[in-house]
Amino acid sequence: MTQTARTQAIPRTDRELIDEFDEGLAVSPADIGERLWHFFISMRTGLVLILALAVLGLIGTLLVQAPSGLQANPQAYATWLESLRPKYGGWTGILNTLGLLSIFGSVWFKGIMVLLMTSVLACSANRAPHLWKLAVHPRTNMSESFFGHAPLSMSAVGSLEPLAAVASVQSAFRSRHFRTIVNEDAGGDTIHLYADRFRWGPFGTVIAHLSLGLILIGALVGSSFGFRNTGLAVSVGSRVDVGNGTGLSVEARNFTDSYYTNGSPSDYASDLVLYRDGKQVDAATIRVNQPLRAGDVTFYQSFYGAAAAMKVVDGTGRVVFDQGVPLEWGSDDGKHRVGQILLADAGLTVYVVGAASGEVDPQIRPGQMQLEVYRSGSEGTRIATQIVTQGQPMKIAGLEFTFVRERQFTGLIVARDPGAIFVWLGAILLVGGIALVFFFPNRRAWALIRRGSDGTAVHVGAIVRHDVGFEADFKCLTDDIKRALAGPSAA
Amino acid sequence: MFKMSEYSFIAGVLSVALALGCYVIAFVAARVMHQRTALAGAGAGGGTVAVDGRGGVNLGAYGTLLVYLGLTFLTASLIFRTVATGHGPFANMYEFSIAFAWGTLAMYAYFERRYHQRVLGLIALPVALAMLLYAMTIPATIDPLVPALQNNLLLSVHVAVAIVAYGTFSVAFAAAILYLVQGENGRRGLPSRELLDEISYKAVVVGFPFLTLTIVLGAVWAEVAWGTYWSWDPKETASLVTWLIYGSYLHARVVRGWRGERAAWLLLLGFAATLFTYFGNLFFGGLHSYSGLNNQ
Ligand code: HEM
Repeated sequence: MTQTARTQAIPRTDRELIDEFDEGLAVSPADIGERLWHFFISMRTGLVLILALAVLGLIGTLLVQAPSGLQANPQAYATWLESLRPKYGGWTGILNTLGLLSIFGSVWFKGIMVLLMTSVLACSANRAPHLWKLAVHPRTNMSESFFGHAPLSMSAVGSLEPLAAVASVQSAFRSRHFRTIVNEDAGGDTIHLYADRFRWGPFGTVIAHLSLGLILIGALVGSSFGFRNTGLAVSVGSRVDVGNGTGLSVEARNFTDSYYTNGSPSDYASDLVLYRDGKQVDAATIRVNQPLRAGDVTFYQSFYGAAAAMKVVDGTGRVVFDQGVPLEWGSDDGKHRVGQILLADAGLTVYVVGAASGEVDPQIRPGQMQLEVYRSGSEGTRIATQIVTQGQPMKIAGLEFTFVRERQFTGLIVARDPGAIFVWLGAILLVGGIALVFFFPNRRAWALIRRGSDGTAVHVGAIVRHDVGFEADFKCLTDDIKRALAGPSAA
Repeated sequence: MFKMSEYSFIAGVLSVALALGCYVIAFVAARVMHQRTALAGAGAGGGTVAVDGRGGVNLGAYGTLLVYLGLTFLTASLIFRTVATGHGPFANMYEFSIAFAWGTLAMYAYFERRYHQRVLGLIALPVALAMLLYAMTIPATIDPLVPALQNNLLLSVHVAVAIVAYGTFSVAFAAAILYLVQGENGRRGLPSRELLDEISYKAVVVGFPFLTLTIVLGAVWAEVAWGTYWSWDPKETASLVTWLIYGSYLHARVVRGWRGERAAWLLLLGFAATLFTYFGNLFFGGLHSYSGLNNQ
């Protein structure tokens, strides 16, 4: 519709270069495969898909999104959904059914991603041979009318012999790092010259497009074969299995949280020791921004809190539990912190409840914990609720419980992402590819040198794309040529 | 250092405000002149009237000088503040807003030198000025960095790269607005649509790679600090949306029916998304809220 004057001025051959991207819609071959192909290589399709993805992204920022992993727990999910009701009212259910509350896992998102990737790959496959041809076998001869219409052009007549004129045109280009190809017409009166620079620049688009595929592959590999545990709480002085097939266990030797004088946090640091099959394999202090990488598993500092060191002894005097219990959950009213002990042999689940920091509970005083003992499995039959005081053993359900001391726990994120390497590689290629297209712009120019009655005529013409500096350089270059053409006599 | 930074900031704001004043007066004067000559039949009709106010004092040129002055003051302000805080301007919206304004001014200055279209400043300077005025509403106090932000090098580069991208998008936005304001006929004393289109494009050509790099560096930071390169945090997602819009703009330019006006609309949309991403801290939570106003 609204083409710029510039585009209209470009001669047909070059306009084809630009317009062939969005051909395809006009053609209607019977073959469905071919139709699909034309659908996917159409730039219009690509454009609509990119915008559709942007719309989904926008929805994802505007609507509250379910925390990842929440869907695995239907009850927690229902509670979460309920908590949105005040905000979205009757729309809550509809938004949820449409998948808009976890949009990046929805069929919409996946569908558009698949279509977009197909389109990107198809476009690149379609385009790459053409780019290859432009780089390796460029069109070297242009007719005179091209020079009349080219966005950048210069014509001059000089006294130099054609061959000398060609040499000066060639050296003007060469001194600007252009490659030149010279082609003489049969008669020898007309000489064509083609010059280009950064002829591999356009492959940046292919690299950028393919890198998107690589990033997507990385994301898929990561979500299929990796894991990410965002809540591994390890009490100081205790060791916990990492699980997820890593064979690792992690011990927290120490945790420190430091603060600035204004009360805002300055540092969280955990001293960790890693074991595999009981043998120490690594040790490090981790902080936010300073994770511990052990092989392909990485440990990140994430949160922290209070823990209760507990000791449980059975009737025979055998110690069945002696560890710090992270009080990692908050009670519904926010007044208490809760941790859990599983005593498999005794078939008991024990909740350790302490007052949340800053809260005063007349029942659970400083130096005390409340123990709630349940029989495991059966729908929560509570056996006992008892307050225990630090250092004073208490018999509950045939076991002796001791609240040894208060400790801290450190909360870790543990992740293994075998896809990340592809993502980073893709990211580098993406940035590199885009930089290649835009910062190493392919410059292409043609010259026509012809002996005439009043001297040697030289025409130089060029087309410009993504190129901030070419116009100025072109002027400089053609000035050089003009000067050379005029010959030494004129100087 | 802190005081010096404050003084430079205020001087920068004043310079930009004065520069804008010069441009507005020069532009109005030029239009009046233009109309007079048109009435007198001097036949400059349809031509471009750059803001160069040839009526005696060359106000436009003074405006540009003031832009350079403002840029110098803001550069000084950012440097002093970096020295005072020991880190790049990424810790709060005050620092980042000044940096945003700096980016807009710097990119405007660059494109003005290239294309000599001061009229772009009529849009770009208000954007910069708005950012500076916004910064004035935020306390300039220096708070120490919370642990998540203690990644000085990475975050400084992340912000520096983002600033270039945002600056070029402001220029592209300015050119797109003028493109749309001007209409088909090109008779409002503005640069030709063709030129405006070219300026927008060249601006995005610089901005898009920088935005891409910004997002990648953000992902690196997220990986180091949070254990995942991407978590669909609203700020991340918003920057992705911005990236997609500018990406679609680049493609739109070679699709029939999308060149010209529609492409210009995409640029307005892209700039809206840029601002949405930028101010996102204020109304959505997420990991980046750590870097926002509330010291979570
Ligand atoms: C988010 C997805 C995409 C990204 C980031 C991307 C990136 C790019 C970039 C940076 C360029 C260079 C821009 C320019 O020449 O001005 C480009 C060009 C191009 N893109 Fe994409 N693209 C995407 C999707 C697509 C899709 C879906 C298609 C196909 C329908 C496509 C087809 C093309 C074509 C044909 C070119 C021009 C190639 C050339 O000039 O040699 N792109 N793309």
